[in-house]
Amino acid sequence: MHLAPWLLYSIITVVAWGIVGLLQKLSTNNISAESSLIWLVVGFIAMEPFVYSGAAMFRYSAWNLTWALLSGTLNALGAWALFAALKSGGKASIVAPLTALYPLVVILLVPFVLHESITRLQIAGIFCALISVLLLSA
Amino acid sequence: MHNDSQIEAGQHTEQVSAHPQNARWFWYSILCVICWAAWALFSKFGSREIPPETMQFFFTIGTVPIGLALLAARHGKLEKSPRGITYGVLNGILSGLGGLTLFAAYHTGANTAVITVATSLYPIITVLLAVLILHERLGLRQVLGLVFAGISIVIFSL
Repeated sequence: MHLAPWLLYSIITVVAWGIVGLLQKLSTNNISAESSLIWLVVGFIAMEPFVYSGAAMFRYSAWNLTWALLSGTLNALGAWALFAALKSGGKASIVAPLTALYPLVVILLVPFVLHESITRLQIAGIFCALISVLLLSA
Repeated sequence: MHNDSQIEAGQHTEQVSAHPQNARWFWYSILCVICWAAWALFSKFGSREIPPETMQFFFTIGTVPIGLALLAARHGKLEKSPRGITYGVLNGILSGLGGLTLFAAYHTGANTAVITVATSLYPIITVLLAVLILHERLGLRQVLGLVFAGISIVIFSL
């Protein structure tokens, strides 16, 4: 069975983040969610020497480097907002499925900002995946 | 990305408003959705030119201000649980690995919406590991969730 490269990479992401889900649970059994997020950033930093590829990294356009930086900031800010939602009295059974819907915003924006087309089969796959995420998050 | 533990960790304090739009938790949730949607899109924007390793390098630099802000809010005080810290750091390393392959997926030029949705399926692994390692039981809802995830992965692989 031949897997497209994007699907293979995505499966690795799913497995890695899936394990993170379990470890996060074990982590917050011992420390607060905020501390866990701080140590998560420390873990990111620990990986830096392995992804550092020298001065050549700075040859890319300033815009694209900015997107990369902002993606990190917004990812961490989103995680903080999730904690804040739960601490402000949001029920996990509502907040989790609600925040799990972020791919839906991406789906709606992609045709306008990236002008990508999508096949009917892919739409069917997206539909099933979104139902799955909602069921598993609730 | 989020998970059950983060959810459990925050379950306390203020009362829930009868009208979601009037509640602070609702707007924090919306902020979370906006941030994560923007994170996915910005990751794609950068990945069109920048290779995954470099994306991950700059992504990490981007997370540091939030980590420092959280640390400052706690006046630099962190719990000293070696186990909690170890799991926390491991989370960062594995999240980074997952981020690296996400950037690689975006870098291939395949459909952004499909990749974003496919990679959001990570709770299937968490649920399966919770059953295998923590001996948690699956409810009907989770079983259905796994079935739909399986169908979607089969469709994506066609």
